[in-house]
Amino acid sequence: MAADGSMGAAASTGIGSGARSFFRTRRLSRRVQQTLIAYSLLSPAIIYFTVYFFYPIGLEFWASLFSGQPLIGESRFAGFDNYVTALQDARVRQSVFATLTYAIGVTAASIAIGLGLALLLNQRLPGRTAIRAVIFFPYIISFVIVALIWQAILDPYTGILNGVLANFGMPTQNWLNDSSAALPVIIAITVWKDVGYAMLIYLAALQSIPSDFYEAAAIDGAGPAQQFRYVTWPLLTPTTLFIAVVSMIGQLQEIAPAYLITNGGPADATRLFSLHVFEAAFFELNIGYASALSFLMFLLILGITFVQFRLLNRDVSY
Amino acid sequence: MSWWRRAKLFIGTGLGALLSTGAGAETLTLYWNAGHAYQAYAEVIERFEADHPGWEVRWERFQWPDMRTKLIADLAAKNPPDLVAEPGGWVQEFGQQGLLLPLNDFVAKDGEAMGFPEDWQVRAVERNMLDDQYFGVQIHLTCGTLVYNVDMLKEAGFDAPPATWEEFREVAIATTGGGRFGFAPNPSIGYYWSWFLQNGVTYYDPETNTVNLDSPEAIEAIQFLADLIQKDKAATTPVAGSDYEGPQKLFTANRAAMIITGPWDVKPIRTGNPDLNWAVAPSLNHKEQATFAGGVSLMIPRDAEHPDQAWELLKRLVALETEIAVTKEAGMTMPRKSWVENAEVQADPVIGSFGKCLPYAHDVAAELRLTGKHARIDKLLRSVIEEIIYNQVPAAEAMPRFAKEANAILASN
Repeated sequence: MAADGSMGAAASTGIGSGARSFFRTRRLSRRVQQTLIAYSLLSPAIIYFTVYFFYPIGLEFWASLFSGQPLIGESRFAGFDNYVTALQDARVRQSVFATLTYAIGVTAASIAIGLGLALLLNQRLPGRTAIRAVIFFPYIISFVIVALIWQAILDPYTGILNGVLANFGMPTQNWLNDSSAALPVIIAITVWKDVGYAMLIYLAALQSIPSDFYEAAAIDGAGPAQQFRYVTWPLLTPTTLFIAVVSMIGQLQEIAPAYLITNGGPADATRLFSLHVFEAAFFELNIGYASALSFLMFLLILGITFVQFRLLNRDVSY
Repeated sequence: MSWWRRAKLFIGTGLGALLSTGAGAETLTLYWNAGHAYQAYAEVIERFEADHPGWEVRWERFQWPDMRTKLIADLAAKNPPDLVAEPGGWVQEFGQQGLLLPLNDFVAKDGEAMGFPEDWQVRAVERNMLDDQYFGVQIHLTCGTLVYNVDMLKEAGFDAPPATWEEFREVAIATTGGGRFGFAPNPSIGYYWSWFLQNGVTYYDPETNTVNLDSPEAIEAIQFLADLIQKDKAATTPVAGSDYEGPQKLFTANRAAMIITGPWDVKPIRTGNPDLNWAVAPSLNHKEQATFAGGVSLMIPRDAEHPDQAWELLKRLVALETEIAVTKEAGMTMPRKSWVENAEVQADPVIGSFGKCLPYAHDVAAELRLTGKHARIDKLLRSVIEEIIYNQVPAAEAMPRFAKEANAILASN
């Protein structure tokens, strides 16, 4: 170990003799040396995040202050007009409501069904590995394929589901043409696709809970329901927080189901916010307005994530 | 030779070959619609490459919405393709933004030899112009009209297709039953225009800067279709979504007696059900005989890397012999006057029937597009028509609401 503490830090982090002589000759204070070393080590990450995250976010905010086609064509400075327009637009409010319904619906259902499946498939069941694989499989399929599959199933005239209903003498349904049914249907399709992921995470978490806890609870007379309530569920809180945050962030930005299955219809019933932004940018060529909408969505996601952390973030140790 | 020297020789040779290949090849990028990737065009591209040694055409095919997304991203990155096919409206839209190359110099040089613009239908030229400058060249000129299943109509006692709305409704009701429908409407917004146009409705009045879709005629037109679906149960409810092939699939499967479509569906119907006995009818006549026009144009982005070569390829793609070859292969209708006069075209009963609709087909949004607000207003219109068709909101309530919103957009800066 070097006599000089700062040199020791430099040596331990692999800084070469050139750097050591630099520090010696300049006689920088220990604090400055440590700061320089820290930033030099962080610089790849700083550059990466600056180029791929902070710069695009800044560019988007800049574009949101212009009307017209900033970035590609003619535009003029509009201040916060795009934000005011967005907040006054009834269609924006409608799409935010549809998006929140969709994201909360998918997240809640994925957590509930994923946890149920994980509890079930954590038991010693015959063929449980195959069943886990089958449930997880939709998660790795592209949503384009998922959309094609479900369009074929749900088509009111040529779909398999209505064919089955008709065979049993039951009334056929306009699954995707009914404004009140379309959003629940795409929530169900997304849950079908994503529930395998929640199940897998919960399975890993369940298997990490020491069996001693259950043995102790059993000795104290706790049945399966009480063991779940007082042992399993509290210890799964960090996992639930993780799934809830990741799922909400993902679903709030989701565009694929609305774009591919219903195109936002019928009558805007499934117009998710990302689809609204996408159409404003790429179909209406209203780039400034679309940028403002995106920035508002960024703030909304930030706020929702903060609330989730406040509600669910509890220290759990075992 | 040691293993290290052998490895260096191998790597060096490989890199040399790679660099020499890259240095010699020039790539011309062409964006195309996936549904229009006909063999006749593939052969034109092959001949172009053979005639231009060292050039390779990268023929990228997309669905229209995906192409638009990619193109806008390319334009923002100042890295656009060299030549782009567009579905109508983009030429003026992007031309207004200064994103396209004016073609006047090319036309001055080659126009006479290729017959442009004299041999093109006048409106096929006008829809690609801005302020006396050419920004695109039409490659397909199409229209939608009534297509019917001859056998289903005969079974219901009709020897001829309907010519008016009243006859159409009568045939639709008579041919519905047993899992089959009289009519299968298309969910895509453009298809609704045949009803509006036949009732004398226009989209936009440039003098007053307002849309005209709150008129009694517009309300009557869309309510007629809604009633056919909801009250008469003689038409399918169009399936919400971006797939506009649903009606064609029902028709091909012998489950819909009538659809409104254009020449783009000729090949899918012929290949999907070669035994289907079907025909093309003149468009219906209510207040007037009319239908919507469509088509594809080619445009060169302002920042294209190889505009001269793009123009050379464009000339070959719009040549009369190419048009005839595509018509024979896929049944597509074309913008050249000499194509209409071609004996082979006139002899084909299906293509000839589509060709006869072109004179009364309208480019619905031609004037609205010039406001730069067409896409926003079209989105509103789609939403309100879906309210009428799916949610059974009366057209008399929904259309004035649409007109009010649309006119507010038009009045805003």
